[in-house]
Amino acid sequence: MPGGGVARRPLHFIIMADCSGSMTGERMQALNYAIADMLPQLAEWERDQLVAQVLVRVLSFATTPTWHVREPVPVGELRWKPLQAVEGGYTNMGPALREVAAAIGPDKLENRALRPAILLVTDGRPTDLGNELAAGLGALTSFPAGRASLRLAIAIGHDAKSEFLDQFIGDPSVPVIVAGNTEEIAERLVAASIAVSRLSEGGVDHGALVNQLLGTGSGGPKESEDHTIV
Amino acid sequence: MRTSSDVPPIDAQPWTVLVASARGAAHAAAGLPNQDASAWRVLETLGPPLVVAAVADGHGHPRHFRAERGAHLAVEQACACVERLADQLLVGRSGGELEAFARETLVPSVVQAWRRAVAADHAASAFTPDEEAIRAQVADEPVIAYGATLLLALLSERWLLVAQIGDGDVAALFADGRVETPVPVDPTLDGHYTTSLCQAAAVDSFRIAVIDRAASPVLALLLATDGFGNAQASDPWPPAVGADLISMLGTRGMEWVRGQLPIWTERCASTEGSGDDTTVILAVHAS
Repeated sequence: MPGGGVARRPLHFIIMADCSGSMTGERMQALNYAIADMLPQLAEWERDQLVAQVLVRVLSFATTPTWHVREPVPVGELRWKPLQAVEGGYTNMGPALREVAAAIGPDKLENRALRPAILLVTDGRPTDLGNELAAGLGALTSFPAGRASLRLAIAIGHDAKSEFLDQFIGDPSVPVIVAGNTEEIAERLVAASIAVSRLSEGGVDHGALVNQLLGTGSGGPKESEDHTIV
Repeated sequence: MRTSSDVPPIDAQPWTVLVASARGAAHAAAGLPNQDASAWRVLETLGPPLVVAAVADGHGHPRHFRAERGAHLAVEQACACVERLADQLLVGRSGGELEAFARETLVPSVVQAWRRAVAADHAASAFTPDEEAIRAQVADEPVIAYGATLLLALLSERWLLVAQIGDGDVAALFADGRVETPVPVDPTLDGHYTTSLCQAAAVDSFRIAVIDRAASPVLALLLATDGFGNAQASDPWPPAVGADLISMLGTRGMEWVRGQLPIWTERCASTEGSGDDTTVILAVHAS
């Protein structure tokens, strides 16, 4: 085989995890449990489908963003080290969005990569409302891979569901996923991660996505979908 | 007309054309056919023989439910258009004039011929109730159902002309070991959306390249649907794949490469690779 062999198409999956002060304690414990529980299920999904290799990165954010897993790691190889909440840390999403934008910006991903998937998990409204937040979202959607990225948000607690999360998702037909209590975080995270990965791998069927996220669908997004016209 | 990999290639001096195509693993799992198509011809002209070659990739999205037919019509009509225009294409033209002729005459002819062929196909075979339900849901014009890309190459002793709409790859392999991707990049192609023959602005979406072999002696030209490039482990892949092909052609020879091409194509289309339909035409000059 000329060129060094073949490989599945990379699917860059980025978790943006809120580590602000309000996540301290039970919520952070539940989020760590949820991510640790999600990874093997995402790895199992990866094995079962036919196109994508899932590469995971994790960005923790509070007052400032920090890469918890900076380099893309194949989902099956990632050993989870717990996130820590930042005592007194704010929920500054603008800098976090800019950090993600820089990571997947022009020439940062493989040409053959599938559309990146970004999952935002937060228990609060952004504290950097105004220009900073808009600039972060603007940075993420200022280049093709960022615009094309599939974005989902999990709100921990009903209070966390905000207009900003809808703006982040960028599609009025896709709901913010609400984990009403810590017990629901793991379940919602697994559903969201697999849904967003399937969509990136297989194409857009937002109706099926909504059904899957809300638990009203039977089969989830179709896996046979791919190219359509600009 | 050659449209499938099981037809033995015919040598056409000075170009030899190798073809392979494989159904993508994801398409097989979904019960979809191979929606790629390929065709090539040796053209009788007033001058030296010309070769025209084309590959097309029918879009996999459900709204393009006749994409397989669209891809076959694309390669057939493209080759037929080049054949009709062959005597005008190369006679006394500079590279710039050839590119202008391609943009102003050849590409509009190809698009028009494809749309006419699609209309004839639709007239002869109306949409089934299931197909019509899909079309009506998104209120598409019937032509959208046939959406496909097209990569078209005309190869002569001196000139290489390539016209492309949509994704897929063209790599020029030079005798001195260089590899180039001559067709300009289209920034609107993001791996999910593609430009297409079925769009109203199809003519303007074509990208064109002309190579003068007198200045840059091309050893081989590779045309591939995106299932090939999306399967390559190396990134960017054209330099690595191209350099190896040049080496293999030199050391192992044409017949060996001819035998290997279907195997490579199958690997690209497999679950180890892109899982997508994969079609490759490798045109090799006798030099």
